[in-house]
Amino acid sequence: MKVAYIFATQRHTVSYVLGKMILPQLEEGRHGADVIGMFFFEDNNYVLVKGNPLGERLLKVTREKGILLMGCDQCCYEREIADQLLDGVPIGCFPDLYKALSGNPPDQVITL
Amino acid sequence: MAVSGGGGDIAQRPAPACCGGNGNVGRPLSVSDCFDRGLRRRRRAPLPIEAHARSDGNGLSAAFSIRLRDGGGTIGDVGFRADTCVTLIAYCERLAELATGRSLDTAARLSAPDLVAELAGVPPLKQDRATLAVAAFRAALAACGDGSMSLQSEPGEARP
Repeated sequence: MKVAYIFATQRHTVSYVLGKMILPQLEEGRHGADVIGMFFFEDNNYVLVKGNPLGERLLKVTREKGILLMGCDQCCYEREIADQLLDGVPIGCFPDLYKALSGNPPDQVITL
Repeated sequence: MAVSGGGGDIAQRPAPACCGGNGNVGRPLSVSDCFDRGLRRRRRAPLPIEAHARSDGNGLSAAFSIRLRDGGGTIGDVGFRADTCVTLIAYCERLAELATGRSLDTAARLSAPDLVAELAGVPPLKQDRATLAVAAFRAALAACGDGSMSLQSEPGEARP
């Protein structure tokens, strides 16, 4: 099954669910689904800032597996981090996300 | 901002009051600053001189409209329509702010690199929106000089 994750809530979504569940499972090759892409809203975008330890690990594994990472453009501009994201990680909005995923669409989109 | 072709009056022009009144003094304008104002300007009805929309390879489009004053040589107001891309709307808004109150000749010298320099923090991948904004704005400037203006001007509107 192919999935895409949308990180929309801001409690332990990134530090716990992504950082301690999804990311380690991806690194160990035992996540159980093919992750096609990840999209980040609001403060979750800080994980995509260059130098963020979690983000750097995420970048490595997503490059290896061809997983799309994208930050919400308005969220990043509002936080003035749009030009400070990890190398090659774009910002965009829904049209950009859908376009980026259109070549290999997920079966499920999971909002966290 | 550097403006080629002798447009120093733009470079020395202080930021509009609306830009200085929201905590921006001493730091470059951000996309968010202009995006919020741009959303409001985008909802306004088109002004008398309206150009056809211009599009780019990303599927985005924008169109500007202008109202002239002072006998037709000065831009009195600028409006625009643009697709809902935050970067494009911010660039269109900043362009409208820079052009308002300027002569047509001076406004025509505004370029995409000028616009990119105006707004801090835009990733290189998104900076091509400035090219679209400038192309759409120049189309409106061109419309100011063609015959269509006489049909589009409001009663008492300045003409070139």
